[in-house]
Amino acid sequence: MSAPYDGYGQQSPADVAYAGQPQEGFEQAPAPTAPASAADHGKKKKRGYAAQAYDFGAGANSAANPQPAAGAQPYGAYPQPQTPTYPAGYPGQEPQPVAPTYGAAPADVAPQYGAPQPQGQGYGGYPAPDAAYPAPVAGGVSGPGVPGAAGLSQQMAGMNLGPGSQPQAQPGQAARPVALNQLYPTDLLNQPFNVSELDLPPPPIVLPPNSSVTPSPDANCSHRYVRSTLNAVPTTHSLLKKSRLPFSLVIQPYGALHDNDDPVPIIQDQIIARCRRCRTYINPFVTFLDHGHRWRCNMCQLTNDVPQAFDWDAAMQKATDRWARHELNHAVVEFVAPQEYMVRPPQPLVYLFLFDVSYAAVSSGLLATSARTILDSLNRIPNADRRTRLGFIAVDSSLHYFSIPKDDDENGDTNMLVVSDLDEPFLPVPQDLLVSLSESRQSIENFLTKLPAMFQNNQSNGFALGPALRAGHKLISSLGGKMVVLGASLPNLGIGKLDMREDKKLLGTSKESSLLQTSNSFYKSFAVECSKNQVSIDMFLFSSQYQDVASLSNLPRYTGGQTWFYPGWNAGRPEDAIKFASELSDHLSSEIGLEAVLRVRATTGLRMNAFYGNFFNRSSDLCAFPAFPRDQCYVVEVAIDESLTKTVVCLQTAVLHTTCNGERRIRVMTLALPTTTNLADVYASADQQAIATYFSHKAVERALSGGLDAARDSLQNKLIELLQTFRKELAGGSMGGGLQFPSNLRGLPMLFLGLMKNVGLRKSAQIPSDLRSAALCLLSTLPVPLLMQYIYPRLYSLHDMPDNAGTPDPETSQIVLPPPVNLSSERLVSYGLYLIDDGQTQFLWVGRDAVPQLLMDVFGVEDRTQIRVGKGSLPELDNDFNERLRAVIYKSRDHMSKGVGSITLPHLYVVREDGEPSLKLWAQTLLVEDRADQGMSAAQWLGILREKVSQR
Amino acid sequence: MSGEAWLYLFAVLINAVNLFLQVFFTIMYSDLECDYINPIDLCNRLNTYIIPEAAVHAFLTFMFLINGYWVPLILNLPLLAYNAKKYAPPLYIFFLFPPTDSAGAASQLRGQVKADRNLRIIDNTHLLDATEIFRKLNVHKKESFVKLGLHLLFFFFYLYSMIVALIRDDTK
Ligand SMILES: [Zn+2]
Repeated sequence: MSAPYDGYGQQSPADVAYAGQPQEGFEQAPAPTAPASAADHGKKKKRGYAAQAYDFGAGANSAANPQPAAGAQPYGAYPQPQTPTYPAGYPGQEPQPVAPTYGAAPADVAPQYGAPQPQGQGYGGYPAPDAAYPAPVAGGVSGPGVPGAAGLSQQMAGMNLGPGSQPQAQPGQAARPVALNQLYPTDLLNQPFNVSELDLPPPPIVLPPNSSVTPSPDANCSHRYVRSTLNAVPTTHSLLKKSRLPFSLVIQPYGALHDNDDPVPIIQDQIIARCRRCRTYINPFVTFLDHGHRWRCNMCQLTNDVPQAFDWDAAMQKATDRWARHELNHAVVEFVAPQEYMVRPPQPLVYLFLFDVSYAAVSSGLLATSARTILDSLNRIPNADRRTRLGFIAVDSSLHYFSIPKDDDENGDTNMLVVSDLDEPFLPVPQDLLVSLSESRQSIENFLTKLPAMFQNNQSNGFALGPALRAGHKLISSLGGKMVVLGASLPNLGIGKLDMREDKKLLGTSKESSLLQTSNSFYKSFAVECSKNQVSIDMFLFSSQYQDVASLSNLPRYTGGQTWFYPGWNAGRPEDAIKFASELSDHLSSEIGLEAVLRVRATTGLRMNAFYGNFFNRSSDLCAFPAFPRDQCYVVEVAIDESLTKTVVCLQTAVLHTTCNGERRIRVMTLALPTTTNLADVYASADQQAIATYFSHKAVERALSGGLDAARDSLQNKLIELLQTFRKELAGGSMGGGLQFPSNLRGLPMLFLGLMKNVGLRKSAQIPSDLRSAALCLLSTLPVPLLMQYIYPRLYSLHDMPDNAGTPDPETSQIVLPPPVNLSSERLVSYGLYLIDDGQTQFLWVGRDAVPQLLMDVFGVEDRTQIRVGKGSLPELDNDFNERLRAVIYKSRDHMSKGVGSITLPHLYVVREDGEPSLKLWAQTLLVEDRADQGMSAAQWLGILREKVSQR
Repeated sequence: MSGEAWLYLFAVLINAVNLFLQVFFTIMYSDLECDYINPIDLCNRLNTYIIPEAAVHAFLTFMFLINGYWVPLILNLPLLAYNAKKYAPPLYIFFLFPPTDSAGAASQLRGQVKADRNLRIIDNTHLLDATEIFRKLNVHKKESFVKLGLHLLFFFFYLYSMIVALIRDDTK
């Protein structure tokens, strides 16, 4: 416990091992012989198959193509001469260290797929997913990347999270109650970053023993909900400033789209104890005084009375146990709110759909697909209280309203009412435009069935979005709710009219950023108006031409909605139709909150300084959400106004909202963090993923206000500043040629590089501004796990994946994924099969020398040229490898296992290395560590950083 | 009273108005910080005064120009330039890319600016934006303070100049 974060501690032993036995990695080479025999007597024939198939494949490969020696060679004797070619890109780096890492290097493919096998044997056939892959790494450089250690430190983290439960925490340490995380400096040049380091949990929060009133392991907030960039808070503003690190919270209040998938303790009895002065909700970190009659607020120190109901149940007339109360045992709880928390009775869930019915929307099949999807999703729309209401408006150059009768209305008929006055759109009839889903279910179904036919011959090219939005706002503003826009063209009529302003010549120049800004202030002022009336807007955009996503995305941005962009979408392609239908359906089924506000309270001395995300700041510390989505995260910057005197500070996030079942609730998340006066502690407890998330939000803001160059430059300068500060203050200043950084922040340079090379920020003259704007929306909303994947995509090597990959883990019954590989084309072998997945798009990369047997198993074709490249799906073939491959691809899309909710269903693109160049180039842009277009490679990047750091 | 005295009297009055406006702005900004007013109301209220403030100041500067009072004119020019830059971005772009510049990007941009100049005026890029007010509050406050200081200085300068002019009238 004295060094609780042993996950990072592994670093040094690994180093030592390395220095001592530089040949270790190579000695693993004979391993391939082991798997062969292992495969023979594998318990399941199925599991042995891949290895056999591969052996066979390898043989075929070498036979068929004697000339590409590089491809065939690795199967034979371990080719010594090849090794140095791989690490050549890294200056000043010994070649040896790399070889044993994950084996994706061209040279050591053999040990890679061989090694897990004996490991598996050792574990009796089915190794735990994490335990399986330390083997290739153990001798390697990336101590911190050892997933086994990750598991270990996770357990440790778990223990530390429950500070009250720490009889085992050594109280014997005199100077400080508990030692904070220890700093492990590493050299970024000698020990290159390994992607599996991103799977490690953040440095644990080490609180003094008995910080919380109950010994519950859930007393402190899990990093799934709230992450702090600093898990040890500097006590003064000057120390924070000296560290150059940001102090902010990354808040993701919901872990899934539906409550069932991510339940949180709910306090039903409406007893809500709050501090009289600062309105903090009672939480596990308060202190009880006066024999438990009073409690002291952990934020402002005021003493409050404990409600009698904590100990006495008046209804049942018996004593109750206060220590069993959820709010004293769990950091994340949800209170059912009484009357006082309502401005008005809870509103019903309202969905108003604005269909684009212009020629573009009808011809691309958008109208038919959306009508069909909504029809199929009617059962999924939350309607437990039977109050949910739906409305529909069709828009071309005029507005079409639909008055839908109740089901029991005998002579009722759905009427279409057309209004062509766009300047003052009025509602033609007062009622029946917004109808109850329960009472008019049959009529709604009839209407949605008929809707596509009504407009199938529509030739209008107008799209009066602005007037339609105003009309929709008028229709639902008394209730509030969601407007869902399904648009396939540029709004070109009435208020909010937009121009085709994109000019190819502007792309890649400093003028490009003007295209990312709002071109019509209607989209801001109207969004503010909507926020005021509790109306939230979601944009589903489909245009094949310029659609001005930059302007349109303002509507979701300030109303708690989201922008989904489907460039070049056409229902004629089944993949397109399936993707959109699945996403819209999930979106409608999501249990959103309504009329929500978010506020963060903190210990005296801390102040919430700035807020980032999709909402409107109704006051300096209150974020307003007409609808609260479940698939977004928010960043709150914290300022230290006064010196902190306590050893623990708390930050409490509260989300007051109405559930879609009409219940007013407050979700409260309390995070306690230790304080420190020591810069080393601050660095040792910094969370690289939270920091990257913070700077992603900052970069988006910077890109919109100051341009893309400024955003990229500020990222680079920030990183240099951090490296310099660390070198000067903590690494002793004279570290020769190395690039020192703590082990827990080792991923930061690559995450920043990934961010700068992301499609939203990359320097390029090829990216249409709509694509950029949509990417910027993602960069400023994605929850942490998805954001990390979006800026540093996942690469899996599939042709040589371990035997257990793609099969369910016996303990968790989760599909096991192959070990991830660093994003460098040097890790791709020409006969390989890879999955590159950034969470939005998946690429299945087929090497130029892929062997026929592999192609046969995966695609069911004999020859590479027969593979259908581009958007598609994998054929379902009756063989083990194909099954496992599909399992891996689906698992890689699984949001639940990442602990987040998301509706995104990525497209799968099949890419042939020698196939269509544009597709190949696109896939290659995800290889962040490669040099591409105008971006630098990882080696160049580290070189620049080192140069700049040692300069100043 | 001579023309000079009248002009400075006029300047003192105009300046007093601007002075009050800036005090009003400053108070409103601190109200926003203390959550006494919500950003939507604040922007609606302040935006009504932003153009008049600049227009009145521009008119006063113009009066100095046509009457040939160079010292007050030069004193007022920086503020005028600042307002012009802020309130008339299309004009600004026009100066940056003179018509001789035939490079595609610039002329395209200029053409666009010309084409939707009407749109631009509605666009009101200089007005306060409720969605960004909290991010830019410090900038706005600083601007308000600086303007307040400037107007205060001008006020005494005009007052002094007016008195000097009146004394000169008397001694004649
Ligand atoms: Zn309090």
